[in-house]
Amino acid sequence: MSVGFFLIHAKPHRTPAMLLSWSLFVTGIALYLFVAHARHRDNPEERVTPTIAQMARGMYDAALKPAEDDEQAASEGTMVERFRNSMLWKDTKATSRRFIYSMVLLIPAVLLGLHMGLFPYVGAFFLRFVLFFDKIVALSLLPILFIAFGIDELAKVMLIVIGVTPTIILDTFNLTRAVPAEQLVKAFTLGAGDFDTAYRVVLKQIMPRVLNSIRLNLKSVMLFLFAGEMIASTDGLAYRIALLRRHMGMDVIIPYVLWVALLLFLVDLGMRVLNRKLHPWFQES
Amino acid sequence: MALIEIDDISVAYGTPPRSVLEGVGLRIEEGEFVCLLGQTGCGKSTLLRLVLGSEKPLAGRVLIDGVEHHQPDRTRGYVPQRYSLFPDKSVLDNITFGPEVSEFSLFGHLTPRYYRRRRELRSEALDYLRRIGLGESDAAKYPDQLSGGMQQRVAIAQALITKPRILLMDEAFSALDPGTRRGMQQLIRDLWRDTGTTILFVTHNTQEALRLGTRVIVLAKETPERGSRVSLDLPVPDPCFEEEIPHLVQQLESGAGWKTAADCKSAV
Repeated sequence: MSVGFFLIHAKPHRTPAMLLSWSLFVTGIALYLFVAHARHRDNPEERVTPTIAQMARGMYDAALKPAEDDEQAASEGTMVERFRNSMLWKDTKATSRRFIYSMVLLIPAVLLGLHMGLFPYVGAFFLRFVLFFDKIVALSLLPILFIAFGIDELAKVMLIVIGVTPTIILDTFNLTRAVPAEQLVKAFTLGAGDFDTAYRVVLKQIMPRVLNSIRLNLKSVMLFLFAGEMIASTDGLAYRIALLRRHMGMDVIIPYVLWVALLLFLVDLGMRVLNRKLHPWFQES
Repeated sequence: MALIEIDDISVAYGTPPRSVLEGVGLRIEEGEFVCLLGQTGCGKSTLLRLVLGSEKPLAGRVLIDGVEHHQPDRTRGYVPQRYSLFPDKSVLDNITFGPEVSEFSLFGHLTPRYYRRRRELRSEALDYLRRIGLGESDAAKYPDQLSGGMQQRVAIAQALITKPRILLMDEAFSALDPGTRRGMQQLIRDLWRDTGTTILFVTHNTQEALRLGTRVIVLAKETPERGSRVSLDLPVPDPCFEEEIPHLVQQLESGAGWKTAADCKSAV
């Protein structure tokens, strides 16, 4: 294996490939446990590197005990009921709601990019503005957004719109422009009109790549969403992380971060599966 | 009136403008199989795009049945060298795309009539599939699962199902291996005989032009600075016998002249 490590034509077997891909995870976890153990040995009250047991307890409380702002909720009942009254569930629900709003707002962005790429006048009208808009650092607009739209949902959603939609518009624009001219001419010669060509030919062809582009931008969506939640929110996963930071609640913060990563991984996986199901031809090519 | 009239066309590209076509004039009658021949970069494809309506000339005009067309439409079918099929559609959907898009609007899928008509169109497409030598087992395949020759066969069926008056083919067989190419030449010749569609076929292969066309038009530049003009416009004996082709190729490529159709027939 050491011989083939830097060989371009190396073909690692399944087992070594699997071992390699998990080795960094194992190393990271082992390193953390070692450091946590050493620090706890020096100081049993240490809070920066909680042990696995502390994190499990923290996550258990977050997932099965009522949120602190909802003390009247019963702390008894079935596991499902307890989970639905928990801090983790409420935060996940709030963040997911904002995330879904953001994803829905990407639909007009895709359509705008498509029209900009296909219709020269639409392109001439929007392109320069979107290019300029894309260069604005969205987080620098945060104070303006909170002043203009208040600290409600709208400001957070606008932050995501400003942060992510220009990228999606420009990605879709470029993908549209990359569709071979022959395909457009062909569609016209077969009787398609302008909008038939846009929606029945071009959009269908670029859709799998657009979905991939959205997948690659999921992290940016979450980044802007978290920035908004951390600064002005009363619920949500990022709000909770920011709140726990004040109490040095690392036993909950670390599981929360892993939970966010897991959710994002699942959304990404879901989109990948959806892409494969909706566009089998794309996998063929 | 000729089906295609090309009047004194000039085209130039770039800055400073580089002339590609200069004063090209042609008349193509209904039912002709015209092969447009010339070296790479002589403006064959440009001339085809002008007839297609996807490009505008600097001077002159192109009339189809006496009317100027400013964009491609279903009167002129098109088979390019590459990207001839929609990659997201199966073979059958590629073939039925033309009739479907002509008969049903974007939201036509929502009507029950669409599904009835779709069944009819698919059965018609299967007939076309058989005519071009493909089987029903190929119907559900995507273009990427087909060989180059099969893709071009489907592209021809896709173009012909809409029954265009003119079929424009731009180096349609250039990327194919010699064996497949011969098969495709036979296929397009047979389809031309069956349908009577006027075909304008761009190629840089002299043998192919002679084997296919009823008329060969050669575009050539007089000097490198000037645009191409029609340097030869000649009828091809029909059928042009295989044994005559090498001789004709030699004559054509040397620019020494051309036998008339009668000469060719009498020679055999």
